[in-house]
Amino acid sequence: MMFPLMSSMVVSLVLQLALISPLIHGFTNHLMVTPQSPVVQIGTNVTATCVILNTTEVTADDLYWKINSSIIPKEYYTKINASAVSVTLHITDEVGAWLFCAARSTSHYINPSKDRFLHGIFIKKGYHPEKPENLSCKAMQEGRWISGNLTCRWDSASRQTESVPTSYTLFVEEHPGPIFNVTTQDTKITVRMDVFPHHTSLVVRVVAHNSLGKAESEHLEKEAKEFVKTFPPSNVKVFAEEMFPTSLLIEWEHPIERVYLKLAYQIRFCPHGSHVWRHVPEEYTEKDITSFRLQNLRPFQQYDVQVRCKSRRGGYWSDWSANVTQTTPEDSPASKPDLWMLYAGGGEVQLVCKDPEMSNGRITAFNVTIQRSGNDSSEQEVVPVQQSGATWMSRQGITPLRRVSLANQKFIKACATASNSVGTSPKACLHVPSSPSGRHRVEGMKVWSQDGQMFVEWKRPNSSAVSEYVIQWSDRTHTDWQRENGRTNKTAIKGKLQSFVCYNITVYPIRAGWLLKPTSLEAYLEQGAPLEGPSVTRTVPGYDHAVLEWSTVPLERRQGFITNCTVFYRRNDKPPEAMAVPANATSITLTQLSGNTKYEVWVGMSTIAGMRNGTPHTFNTLKHAPGMVEGIVVGVSLCFLFLVLMVIILCIYKKDVIKENFWPQIPNPGESTIGNWSPGYPLQAETPKENCVTGVSVLDVGVCEVKLGFEDDKTSLSLKKDKYLSEEHSSGIGGSSCMSSPRQSVSDSDEGPDLADSTASTVQYSSVVASSGYKGQTPGSQSQHSIFSRSESTQPLLDSEEHPDVLLQRSPRETVFPPNPDDFRPLGGEQQPFCPLKEDAEQTPESDSLQDDTGAPLSSYMPQLAGYRPQ
Amino acid sequence: MNGHVKNMHFQQHVERAATLLCFLLLLAVDTTKTVEAGKNQGCDSDLQKTQKLTRLIHKQTGDLIKAYKASEGEMAQLFCKASRSDIPDPNISGLEPSERMASIYTQLQAFSPHLKRVQEQQMDLQPPKSLLLDLIQKVRDYSVRLTSSINNFYHNFFPNLPLPDPAGGPTTLPLPQNIFQQKIYGCVVLTTYKKLLNNISKDMRTLKIKVCTRAR
Repeated sequence: MMFPLMSSMVVSLVLQLALISPLIHGFTNHLMVTPQSPVVQIGTNVTATCVILNTTEVTADDLYWKINSSIIPKEYYTKINASAVSVTLHITDEVGAWLFCAARSTSHYINPSKDRFLHGIFIKKGYHPEKPENLSCKAMQEGRWISGNLTCRWDSASRQTESVPTSYTLFVEEHPGPIFNVTTQDTKITVRMDVFPHHTSLVVRVVAHNSLGKAESEHLEKEAKEFVKTFPPSNVKVFAEEMFPTSLLIEWEHPIERVYLKLAYQIRFCPHGSHVWRHVPEEYTEKDITSFRLQNLRPFQQYDVQVRCKSRRGGYWSDWSANVTQTTPEDSPASKPDLWMLYAGGGEVQLVCKDPEMSNGRITAFNVTIQRSGNDSSEQEVVPVQQSGATWMSRQGITPLRRVSLANQKFIKACATASNSVGTSPKACLHVPSSPSGRHRVEGMKVWSQDGQMFVEWKRPNSSAVSEYVIQWSDRTHTDWQRENGRTNKTAIKGKLQSFVCYNITVYPIRAGWLLKPTSLEAYLEQGAPLEGPSVTRTVPGYDHAVLEWSTVPLERRQGFITNCTVFYRRNDKPPEAMAVPANATSITLTQLSGNTKYEVWVGMSTIAGMRNGTPHTFNTLKHAPGMVEGIVVGVSLCFLFLVLMVIILCIYKKDVIKENFWPQIPNPGESTIGNWSPGYPLQAETPKENCVTGVSVLDVGVCEVKLGFEDDKTSLSLKKDKYLSEEHSSGIGGSSCMSSPRQSVSDSDEGPDLADSTASTVQYSSVVASSGYKGQTPGSQSQHSIFSRSESTQPLLDSEEHPDVLLQRSPRETVFPPNPDDFRPLGGEQQPFCPLKEDAEQTPESDSLQDDTGAPLSSYMPQLAGYRPQ
Repeated sequence: MNGHVKNMHFQQHVERAATLLCFLLLLAVDTTKTVEAGKNQGCDSDLQKTQKLTRLIHKQTGDLIKAYKASEGEMAQLFCKASRSDIPDPNISGLEPSERMASIYTQLQAFSPHLKRVQEQQMDLQPPKSLLLDLIQKVRDYSVRLTSSINNFYHNFFPNLPLPDPAGGPTTLPLPQNIFQQKIYGCVVLTTYKKLLNNISKDMRTLKIKVCTRAR
């Protein structure tokens, strides 16, 4: 394929060279590229040839090609002869490019004159134009004539580049007559003719052309009038004629004189404001007419009328003329009024009526006739129509006729006719039984919404006796109805329903004018979330539970069917917990609550469109559960009783031990005698009972409160003040620390008199002296035996005399220092908690001397038989 | 016997040839009729267009005269009733359709320079964008198209009859006139031209019958 092409190119090149050779001798450039400024179609190949002129410094082998700044590889070159080389390129992109032919610098001649060995051409790239499509032309009316300007437009599928743009030339040829042409680069242009060529044929065509060629559109050959678009008909008027209540006469004027164009017309009309246009068939209006009578219209109906025109032989339709509105004259009502009843309560029905569908005028009055069962006479009443719009009924075009009681009636028969200024309508009748028959009741009733309309469907009763159905819908304040024939089982409600309003839809079958038992359903056109949530009206909190009660949301605030309620409750800042309850519930018992806790609670009410929460309510659970306090008290009491019982039992069983511990037997000093015993002589184990208290006093003082005892018994010690040293030192015997510190054991002499007074209450303390423990101090007469002797003490008994009862009361307190049984051990044991009266031991001589003062020791104890009598 | 048989065969061949010849003849006639019908259809259409165009120019000339008279005031009635000898005759001459068509053509051509002269005179007398000037221009433009249309029709239907030159040589225009004379001249030219157009329109109906029926 390439070879024949190349050879033909070589031939043409040779021819070109032959032609240009005389010229190029004058040029100083030694290279020349052909063809000059080529325009190449994108997607094709281009071949350029470089020829060496007037020099032998370079040969074809020294030549190379560059496109823009890139050197083209040698495989694209073709050496034609020693002085010519060509290159073939495939054009793919749209951007124009410079193609250079240059010689390599092989000699000293080339270097200084490089420019002579370089030649370039600019390659323009583009697309071949394609045939323009969809050519159309239009001439508009201008004033009284058609404009000589013909505006044409077309579609162009051809692509173009910047370097190879496509132009369009529009040719308009009159036949016979002149040819007009105009050129543009757009796809729309207006050609200006001197006058519009009426009654002439026109041939219109458009030619797309650029450097790569041209393409011509289809020829648009038409009569000139087929390009015309006139003004709409002018001065359109519509007339109503009293004699023809169902027609309107339309008149108009030609927008342009007939010598220029003969026009066809189109008329459309519609009830005022409906915008659903009806067109008059064109065969009636395609003539050159200026009037038309619309027929079969509804009397007393406003109509909008519009007219437009175009050339009878094709052309463009003008715009529609402006709306002209006219009302057809009145006529007698052609159909029955829409008589209906509404249950009014109390066994009464309210008869209501709508204007007849074909009222054909303004209804001025309804003539009502009521006939009761079992009564041949009838009541007549003329009800004038009030069109004030003051009540919802009048706003809906409903006229209330009268209220009729059904009490004591099997049925009533109501009939009504409607009257306007021209005549009276046919009669409409309705039988209203007091208890409608349910035999032909509608079943399987369904209501749904779709595309902003509510549809009702029902199953027809098996009997075909139902002549018509009345579909009634009512909200809380308004009621409306529509009638459907007995063969229908599905209809769209034609009334203006509102979203979010609950409608009670009722289907009443009617058989031969008799009202049968209705079927009802509630429905919404569109459901929304409730406008408000239920309010908690009452809470009865318990310890771990609470009873909530809430009020129901009014129907008009629900905006939909309530699917369920949700009770939310939370304490403190914890996340709320939810509990779903049925839609109809108004109370709930929340369980598993925490006692003595503040809870926030609210109730949400949901429809399919969303949920609305009520206002939050707070309550506190009780601190204690009912009976809990009583239980605790009873429990504690029982425990206490049990404990007491146990103690009593214990006391009973262990009374001896207790007795021994709390009331130890203390030898009655009054009964005691100082006797001699040998180690084998048994100790006197028991003391008289009445001396127990006294014995305790002694022992208390003797154990740890020796010091106290000393302090308390200052008075008694004061008696020995003169004899006893004021400083006492522990003898080390018995190891008691009670007396380890030096102290003054005897009160100051200032207190002496008081204490002296109290000597009457002093008791004698026993002084147990072991002769063996006090060596050197024991008189020689007593050294043979260990002798327990009771020393005589003048220490007071802490007011025991003055308050003997107090003494008894104190004894338990004094039991804080429980007596140590060892206290009763005989002196000489290793431990001797009973603090020995050291002074006694140390001051034996003084004791003796004292004893001497009081006589024999034995006798000195005698008066204390009954206790610690004052000495 | 043989001779009789031969004659019989010959007669049969002759009958067949005659049948075939008749068929071919009918076919040729029918084809001719079809061509004639096509030509006739073009005749009707062309003449109808020419007639409509004549009416259009006639209407426009009427409007032009009204505008002319309106611009001249009460004296216009007097101007227009005057007669001048230097204006072409509005009557169409000739007996044959071709002659009448040729007469229409020459008369239209004869009026063309007069209309041009009136336009030139009125351009000096009327404001530049007056309705009168606009109408004169339109009348002239449509007259050119009417002339072209008649020429085209004539050459289509009378191809062997060349259109004659205007009688009496080229149209002679009046010498320079004063304004009064111009006003009279203009109105007379227009009214005469309207008469010519009226005559053409009437003649077209006759020609349509004669030419196009003949073509049938």
